[in-house]
Amino acid sequence: MTDFLDTFINDYFAEAEEHLSVIRRDLLALEKNVGQPSLDAALIEELFRSFHSLKGVAGMVDHRETEAMAHELEQALRAIRVGDSILTLTGVDALMKGASVLEDTIAARRGEQPPRDPAGAIAELHAAFTGNDNVAPPAAAPASAANWLCTFTPSPELVGRGINVDKVRARLRGAGEIVRATPVVTPDGAIAFHFELQGGITAEQVQAWASDGLVLAPIKAREDQTAGPALEPERSGILSSGHFARVDLARLDELMRMIGNLVILRSRLTDSVKRSEVHLPPAEYRAIHENADAIERELRELRDGVMRVRLVPVGDIFRRMPFVVRDLAREAGKSVHVVLSGQDTKIDKFLVERMMDPVLHLVRNSISHGVESTADRRAAGKPEMATVRLSAVASGETVVIDIADDGRGIDAGRVATRARQAGLPVTDGPLDDATILELVSAPGFSTSDTTDRVSGRGFGMNVVRQTLHELGGTIRLHNDPGQGARFTIELPLTLAITAAMIARVGTEMFAVPQAAVREVAEFESEDIRSLQGAEIVEHRGAALPLVRLSSVLGVDTPPAPRLHAFVVGTGSAAVGLLVDRIVAHREIVVRATADPLIRVDAVSGATDLGDGKAILILNATAIARAARERAETARTIA
Amino acid sequence: MNDNYILFTVAGTSYALPSQAVAHVEMVEQVTRVPDAPPYVDGVVFSRGQVVPAINLRARFGFERVPLDVASRLLVVSSQGRSVGLLVDACREFLPLPPAAIHPPGDALAGVSAQYIDGVASVGERLIVVLGLERLLGTTAHAAGA
Repeated sequence: MTDFLDTFINDYFAEAEEHLSVIRRDLLALEKNVGQPSLDAALIEELFRSFHSLKGVAGMVDHRETEAMAHELEQALRAIRVGDSILTLTGVDALMKGASVLEDTIAARRGEQPPRDPAGAIAELHAAFTGNDNVAPPAAAPASAANWLCTFTPSPELVGRGINVDKVRARLRGAGEIVRATPVVTPDGAIAFHFELQGGITAEQVQAWASDGLVLAPIKAREDQTAGPALEPERSGILSSGHFARVDLARLDELMRMIGNLVILRSRLTDSVKRSEVHLPPAEYRAIHENADAIERELRELRDGVMRVRLVPVGDIFRRMPFVVRDLAREAGKSVHVVLSGQDTKIDKFLVERMMDPVLHLVRNSISHGVESTADRRAAGKPEMATVRLSAVASGETVVIDIADDGRGIDAGRVATRARQAGLPVTDGPLDDATILELVSAPGFSTSDTTDRVSGRGFGMNVVRQTLHELGGTIRLHNDPGQGARFTIELPLTLAITAAMIARVGTEMFAVPQAAVREVAEFESEDIRSLQGAEIVEHRGAALPLVRLSSVLGVDTPPAPRLHAFVVGTGSAAVGLLVDRIVAHREIVVRATADPLIRVDAVSGATDLGDGKAILILNATAIARAARERAETARTIA
Repeated sequence: MNDNYILFTVAGTSYALPSQAVAHVEMVEQVTRVPDAPPYVDGVVFSRGQVVPAINLRARFGFERVPLDVASRLLVVSSQGRSVGLLVDACREFLPLPPAAIHPPGDALAGVSAQYIDGVASVGERLIVVLGLERLLGTTAHAAGA
């Protein structure tokens, strides 16, 4: 019986954590609902059900205080749901506080501490949702930023009229903020662009732009939350929360190794099968051969499947940040708005886990040192509410994480003084951004004059830098005194799945990450002209310099009447990479080529197409950049 | 300290590496060429889910390359956190060599490979060249950076 209970209680904690994660996310989304003419019913429903389920499971393990807290929260949601209570910011605060106490009761039980008494929080919540102070007239809806999905499909006709991606981007920037931009391949093989836009767009604009190949569609209210796109993948939450299993990463590694061994054995099997062909009756041989093939296919799927278990969306790095920001800002008496953007490109969970603490530290620093008090902001003519922007983007080669605030920036003079006090060598004269970063990352450095609660928790900038170093990453600072500071972290992708184009040059296959490819074009060999040693072709009314990937890769390729090219870069920076044939468009597993012997600019990693043979992932951007530089040098000399 | 060595041949000479330095030995079908890699690096191969560079020891030691055949093997060695593959002509022996059996290399051994040699062991009629892995990879890494 005891064993049974032990197992059961662990399942309970796992399930509770899943409910809590849905609750955290939904409460933040709910906050954005305040003041809207109508609430997101699906969101309220999901929250209600999460509290309800949590109440149920807490009751089953006899954790009465958790059950009671969940019950009160459920009641509050019920009141909102049936319209007895109108949601205000105070109401959301009460719900968040309640959820946080709920979390505490569970954490206490898990840590085998004495049960927490939630009576205070229950009373507050009760008052908030039955008392009158929470009932507000439906506020006049503030001019909320509507979210739009804009699809732009370039065409020769549009380009002829001067409408290209850059123009469209500029136009959209004029109307609002581009939250996300993704190139997509349309069913007929052309390239189109999706822009997600936050801003007000009038019906007239929608109509006027339609004739320019720009299709606008409003994005549903459910996604109208800044934390939206990145966090979506967790959404399956409520329906399947009972069906999650937690897996130790080490066990997955073990599985991966076993699969690796199977792949090797399979390849030996294929060899022996081939050798036995001459000794076997054809029918027998065919049967064995087919079975060996079937094993190979299954093995490939098994491998991909295990690989995918490890992958999480890159945006998950920020999972908890809105909560942290909220708490820190409240403690510091500041007003901060957090904007998340992230992709759902999936990267290894290991990387996400390792990045949580460094990002958390940078965010803490932003709020405690960067963001000014409300009064100071008003005096400086800034909006009272500060903005902290977090974005994460994974391309084929790297993950780039940006942490930016619009606070006071970093005071270089103060950094210099502090550094001298700490005995660090500081040169005279103004400090550049790199030096500032260097100094604040030195062990023992702290700019906080008084040890406040927000910073100085033993995870300094030096630890941030150390962690990045271990992961092979870099950090850069862009400091704009008076306007804010931005930290940019760049990490190599050790393991990721990304969309790529597979192409062939001569006998060599290789992959190019789709994110780097702006367009796929086809040219007649006879249209390619030589100009000062460089090859160019006329494309969309401009001269497009070409790079033959056969010469980059050092392979021979017979002349062909038609060639395909990946167009990389835009405007005058555009370069076409010539290949013989584009073979496929598919998801690939990216593996780093980290050893110094094979770390070359033109290659960002390797993958395989399921047959165990390595194919290179080319760093198209670097190849294009090198080509442009060569062309410029040639021009300068000429 | 264990005295087991993995033996392999490159251009008719027998070489040995301490067995604990060798992660595994694989058959090798195809090496994917990497542009701009050092000349003695044939390219990359997948080994148990990892991408490792393949150093052609013939090229490294100044011999002529030969096409891969059924006897060709890739020795995946680990050193200082790196995994590197060594392409050899053949590898099929595992042998204990007591420290007393390994002598300092004499003047008889010259040529490119001399700089990577830890010692020479004679077993019966055969001469076996014991390689110093750190030096072999260390030098190559340095050369790659240069």
